[in-house]
Amino acid sequence: MSKQKITLAVTGLNNTDNPGPGVPVIRGAKESEDFDVRVIGLVYENLEPGIYMEDLCDRIFQIPYPSSGSDELIERIEQIHQQENIDVLIPNFDAELFSFMKNEQRLLDKGIHMFLPSLKQFQERDKDKLADYGKKYGVKVPGSLNLGTINQIADLEDKFDYPVMIKGQFYDAYEAGNEEQVKQAFHKISAKWGFPVIAQEFVKGTEVNVIALGDGKGNTIAAVPMRKQYITDKGKAWGGITLADEKMMELTRMLIKKTKWKGGMELELIKTSSGEYFLIEINPRIPAWVYLAVGAGQNIPDALIKLALGWDVKPMTKYKIGKMFVRYSYDMIVDLEKFAAISMNKEI
Amino acid sequence: MKITEEIKISDNGFVFNSRTGDSFNLNPFGLELIKQIVEGKDFEIIRDVMLDKYDVDDLTIEKDFYEFCALLKHHQIIVQGDPLDFK
Repeated sequence: MSKQKITLAVTGLNNTDNPGPGVPVIRGAKESEDFDVRVIGLVYENLEPGIYMEDLCDRIFQIPYPSSGSDELIERIEQIHQQENIDVLIPNFDAELFSFMKNEQRLLDKGIHMFLPSLKQFQERDKDKLADYGKKYGVKVPGSLNLGTINQIADLEDKFDYPVMIKGQFYDAYEAGNEEQVKQAFHKISAKWGFPVIAQEFVKGTEVNVIALGDGKGNTIAAVPMRKQYITDKGKAWGGITLADEKMMELTRMLIKKTKWKGGMELELIKTSSGEYFLIEINPRIPAWVYLAVGAGQNIPDALIKLALGWDVKPMTKYKIGKMFVRYSYDMIVDLEKFAAISMNKEI
Repeated sequence: MKITEEIKISDNGFVFNSRTGDSFNLNPFGLELIKQIVEGKDFEIIRDVMLDKYDVDDLTIEKDFYEFCALLKHHQIIVQGDPLDFK
């Protein structure tokens, strides 16, 4: 059977020590049995490693940060679309999702398909609303307090024992063992990510994660649980292993069913020594370790493309247990021309 | 005492708990012990087998066996059941 030719645009080519999911998403898409994928890399910075990786992207375009305005970003996408005729776009950053969700119909009218959660789904899982989310859907979550001012830090001691986790709305998390450390984390995070800063009860246990894909009708199309085996000082997985944990799978299926989640997601959970699971975060997109799921037998990027294009996708229920991923860093030698082209022309 | 079904044991002594993602390395003595536990043998039978094979006294075997079982329990390798299970 001949493969269907499609043009896929992907963001998140920043394969740094805080990697975006773009490169593994492209690897998965390229391994599709149904698509012959032409890849358009969309980058914010001119040193995102994915720009320089051989045989990864057919074209590269620089796009403006969503912070410079949704319209500017979407207009740039439309301009690229005129040239490249994008069939499917997979945004991979939390911070850009809002702009793409708001403009989903506008882009679809132009022929660009995406498969994103609804604004309601996206917003109700915000870190500062996790307590309500836990109550609504019957999931255990750590207690939390949204900090809008530094004066509220004094209230923390009445509510939780130290240590506590101090988190930004989108990224960053610090463990703080006393009021002084909370203040330091509060300043760091609020300067970078704004307010509220979230103080979360510290739950002792093992961090485990699930990557999943919901079809928007309540069905779990894919789900693979993983435990981080090697964690960087930024808290990122540098190695991980797939697990046989039916409780995590049940929790994932239950959440997707109840929320009718549409799109890729990552559940971050803490498993306590007594076998309880606390949901600490839901990332509303494919995580950077997605290629482990591909390697374990569930090609989530491929399935997401099919869903975006309106194909009927059957749930994948099997995956290989005990499959591991190990990341590595690698120095590419790059000619100045490529760097000059992306810097000056904003495209390669 | 029963080894949970998620536990995979390689012939070289590598033990993997697929539910928790933990892995362990056993020395040949540990590997032999766990294999016999997998076969469902009682302590008395295991002790006699080990006494035959190794230059060790029965008190040491007993102490090592129960320490080993406590470790297996701690790492969720054996089914968490009746706390009197070891008796």
